Amino acid sequence: MPRLHINNLYWDAVQQLSRRKLVLVCIGIIVIYVCIALLGIFNVLPDYQTRVSTGYEAPSLEFAKLLGTDIFGRSVLYKILAGTKTAMLIGVLVTSISVPIGVILGALAGYYGGVVDVGIVWLYTVISSVPYILMVIAISYVIGKGLVAICLAMGLLGWVGLCRLIRSEVLKTRNLEYVSAARVIGANDIQIIFSHILPNVVHLAIISASLQILGAIKSEVILTFLGVGIQDGSSWGSMISDATGELVQGIWWPLAGVVLAMFLIIYALNVVSDALRDALDPKLRGSTEGAEGNAPLDVKAAAVQKA
Amino acid sequence: MVGYIIRRLLYIIPTIMGVAVLVFVLFTVAGEDPVRIALGQHATPQAIADLEALWGLDQPLWKQFLDFLGQIVTFDYGESYFTGEVLSEAFASGALVSLSLTLPPFVLGLVLNIAIAMMIAYYRDTWIDRFATATAVISMSFSYLVYIIAMQYFLAYEFEWFPINGYAQGLDAIPYLALPWLIIMLVSIGPDVRIYRTIFLNEMQTNYVRTARAKGVSEPSVLFIHILKNAMIPILTFTIVAVPFLILGSFLMERFFSIPGLGDLMITAINNGDFPVLKGMTMYITMTYALFNLITDLLIAAVDPRVKLN
Amino acid sequence: MAVQKVSIWRKTPQLVLSALLIATVAVPIGCRPRDGAGNTDVKVLDSFRADVYRSLDPPRQFDVASARIISNIYDPLLEYHYLKRPYELTPNLLESMPELGADKLTYTFNLRKGIKFHDDPCFPGGKGREMTADDVLYTLKRFADVNVNPQSYPALLQNRIKGLDDFREKTRQQKDLDYDQENIEGLEKIDDYSFKIVMTEPDPLLLMSFATSPLSIVPKEAVEKYGRKLEHHGVGTGPYTLAKNPRKGVMVLKKNPNYHGTYPTEGDPEDQGQGLLAQSGKKLPFVDEIRIPLIEEAQPRMLKFLNGELDAIGIDRDNFPKMAEKVGDKFKLKGKFADQFNISSVDALSSFYITINFRDKVFGQNKALRQALAYAIDTPAYIDKMENGRGHALNTIVPLPIAGSERSVSVKWYPPNLQQAKAKLKEAGYPDGKGLPPIVILYGSQDNITRQNHEFLRAQLAKSGFQLKGEFLSFSDYLGRKEGGSFQLASGGWGADYPDAENFYQLFYGPNKAPGPNDGSYQNSEYDQLYQQMRRMPAGEDRNQIIEKMALLLKEDVPVVFLKAPISVGMRQKWLLNFKSNLMLGSSFKFLDIDTDAKAKGLKK
Repeated sequence: MPRLHINNLYWDAVQQLSRRKLVLVCIGIIVIYVCIALLGIFNVLPDYQTRVSTGYEAPSLEFAKLLGTDIFGRSVLYKILAGTKTAMLIGVLVTSISVPIGVILGALAGYYGGVVDVGIVWLYTVISSVPYILMVIAISYVIGKGLVAICLAMGLLGWVGLCRLIRSEVLKTRNLEYVSAARVIGANDIQIIFSHILPNVVHLAIISASLQILGAIKSEVILTFLGVGIQDGSSWGSMISDATGELVQGIWWPLAGVVLAMFLIIYALNVVSDALRDALDPKLRGSTEGAEGNAPLDVKAAAVQKA
Repeated sequence: MVGYIIRRLLYIIPTIMGVAVLVFVLFTVAGEDPVRIALGQHATPQAIADLEALWGLDQPLWKQFLDFLGQIVTFDYGESYFTGEVLSEAFASGALVSLSLTLPPFVLGLVLNIAIAMMIAYYRDTWIDRFATATAVISMSFSYLVYIIAMQYFLAYEFEWFPINGYAQGLDAIPYLALPWLIIMLVSIGPDVRIYRTIFLNEMQTNYVRTARAKGVSEPSVLFIHILKNAMIPILTFTIVAVPFLILGSFLMERFFSIPGLGDLMITAINNGDFPVLKGMTMYITMTYALFNLITDLLIAAVDPRVKLN
Repeated sequence: MAVQKVSIWRKTPQLVLSALLIATVAVPIGCRPRDGAGNTDVKVLDSFRADVYRSLDPPRQFDVASARIISNIYDPLLEYHYLKRPYELTPNLLESMPELGADKLTYTFNLRKGIKFHDDPCFPGGKGREMTADDVLYTLKRFADVNVNPQSYPALLQNRIKGLDDFREKTRQQKDLDYDQENIEGLEKIDDYSFKIVMTEPDPLLLMSFATSPLSIVPKEAVEKYGRKLEHHGVGTGPYTLAKNPRKGVMVLKKNPNYHGTYPTEGDPEDQGQGLLAQSGKKLPFVDEIRIPLIEEAQPRMLKFLNGELDAIGIDRDNFPKMAEKVGDKFKLKGKFADQFNISSVDALSSFYITINFRDKVFGQNKALRQALAYAIDTPAYIDKMENGRGHALNTIVPLPIAGSERSVSVKWYPPNLQQAKAKLKEAGYPDGKGLPPIVILYGSQDNITRQNHEFLRAQLAKSGFQLKGEFLSFSDYLGRKEGGSFQLASGGWGADYPDAENFYQLFYGPNKAPGPNDGSYQNSEYDQLYQQMRRMPAGEDRNQIIEKMALLLKEDVPVVFLKAPISVGMRQKWLLNFKSNLMLGSSFKFLDIDTDAKAKGLKK
């Protein structure tokens, strides 16, 4: 029974992950960041606009000044916390747009083939032949810049890699015995897709989602630097953009703070998504052609990184 | 074979049409209005009309789109709204500069990263492997922007190893390009090594490698002769597709290091609504992208006897 | 894993790796070129540009980046005095200032003899010929040609010279008009070195247009030879020629040895003491070569300046607190920067303000509400906190260095006063802001600084009961909204096209209402009459009195609330001589000089 096999896979995965200390630590980091983001959403984080001292004070032991202050004497720590909320929000929003699109279109293309497949393949070929950054900026112009705009833009473009992957997986599974059997029993297409095919590719969506989150967080920095992202100072991107003028004068703490904050979450996400892939992707456990299936995701991540 | 190539080339047409529609809609319907930006505050309606007429923006949209299609066929995208440059010339010179920025670290990085990945794969499951993989993940966890800001500040200004920024013609450009090259390579090490390592590990577990090992072939020669050869197929698949985007350069590098390539031209064009530049650039990239996809497939077919073109 | 025999193969990956690393790092080290010339024989000025110019063909541009280059290659008929303030017109290509005829409508221009265009292949034999009145008339016609100049004509010459608008209309109908065949009533050649211009009505401000870069003199031969390529070439009479002109990268300007200009012999009282008159009367330009690389990012710019590879740089808001401070009215560099560099500050020729839309239901008919807003905004605090003191709180809309500013009229703007603001708000029918809907203010940019400024205003207005909401738009959308009159408040600014108060008071002239420059559609017939009167008057005490009346009307009606007139602060290397900021000149390179010995030493650090 395929369902049983799937359940075993996830159970194995959980066990496998929980055996590795580093992975547990990283999951802990992610949980902390999510909590900070939740605090931010419920508006209980300290107000980063408050001036806690004069401009550019170096880090000291007072809580608000742990990471120093910025040009207007606002706490760098508070700004980073506010930025954490923004970053996590972006990661989640982008992923929750792109992953469903990728899964659904990939499943449709793989399952139905024919015109549907040609159409979907055409769509993602078009999207991937336009420079990513140009498309993101253009779409966010259409929507009006800001947080929602860049999330939508990245979400609407970010599904291509996953879609490609799911499509090829579904192509392989749709003619497997149990799918054919389900068809014989009289299950309709939707039932087959949802109960027999998708469960076999969900792990790909999970891996992809973890990579998407970190890709989105990193892209925000670049987009904000280019002037289409979040501009009110409460994002890591705007803090890094500001730092370009500050380092020259020996003001290192805003940059150091935000780099550290960003490093921790990206590192944790990297480690966890690696671990997820090791645990969830059975093909990597000693099969012959694992690399080909996985690589597009990594390439996508690399492309985002290089953007 | 020839038939296959022709058919693949024909497939490019719908893609180009798709990109054309997408770009046209995104930048005419939305985006900054170039006329407004050029004229600034308090432009008279007559001045706006005059400039629109000069740039052909007073034509109905369908006419503008048809003109665009005409430009795609003739490869002549006219002149930039803002600088009046003939775009075919600007693209040609800018693409060369961008390639001088991106191609050397791309090639060098490919060799270097494959070497590192092979080393790690060779020492798999030892501390070397764990250390290298951990370093790769750490190096991937910083923003590209941070690399540029920090390395320009420390390596070029504090330590004075490199010029701060600039560009020169021909070989004189090398000292200026050295730091950007180094950064691009450094940033590519993390993600690339990880992919290549996976590829190598997979190859190591294949039957033919086991056979070779069983025959008593030494591990290094297995690694270099058998595995490397076979691993090149997936590696090339990923890397060749990236080549068209090398032409675009890296806009962040170009801005910080004052390198006159195409990447920065694109960003400026977006901000000014310089439509001819955007149209031209996307279409060039789309076509090279499609072309390189085709080349990849042909290469794979040539290298891997299992793949058949049809 | 089976234990392998140790062989050379085993080491190979490491060897390859280290060889590659050494190769990539070792090549650049040891051959690190530095910009900035160490050569003391040739005087080199190292400047930079932050933006790509749009066009080097004078009538085809109207932006700062283009004007800056054009001013070095071409000459307009008049220019602003390098040293004197307030800004004053002086002859450039002319023998003397144009003479106004008895009819108050005709100016007679006398050209200087012997001014030569640059040597260029477009002239017979490649030798630059003498500039004559024909060149001026050709330039003016070409400037008016709508196919050449859709941009700057309305601002500079529209409705001002007899027959020129008709000529422009004709070019709209017929694309390739032969300028020589067209006679224009208001343009009359007297001889090779003199011509007349006839105005449509008395217009003392017309001459200022002849000091702007779009009206620089261009020879016909160059236009005929180069066509649109002239946008990236340059054949003028200016102090420099264009030696290298990459689109991006380093532009290089070379001295024009035949330049006609000389260094001014008089200046402001303090100029003598600052050594600004040391080279009085000497032939311009002093510097042999100017290098202008394109540097778009702030970090490399500042790093290069600190390294001595650039000769001057602006200090922006991010840099200011660490590098400089305001002591009293003066700006000073801090610590080590003070030993190494010189600082300069100059009042910018622009003012920033919040426009109130008179078409808005809430504000349009409620004078007390507008006055409440004026009392509620603490401009001095805004300048102090948000600009590190780099600005003036204005009493009239005219920036200080411009004729007709508050230096010559006595009007005091509303002082910040919370009690008054609350009282006025009550008078307006909204005690403590009750019943007043949130006010929406438009911004034409979305950057960090704009958002921070908004945050400051929001917090400040909240104290007196206003709820402020920001709407951050792209520049083109912002202009569209303003001209369409669909806004409540709009944050904006105006930079002087020419240094006269009229350029600012036209922003409130009734007939200019949106979509014209009067965005807020302020309407006051008394004001309009005063404006018409003032526009035609020559500068002087009578005119100032009228300006004062206009300023008082604006104070009473509050169509705008002032925010600031900025002060630009900059640093320069000690070896840069003759430096005085002049914001009306496109570029002042020709007046600058370099102490080459000091520069060579400074670079050797």
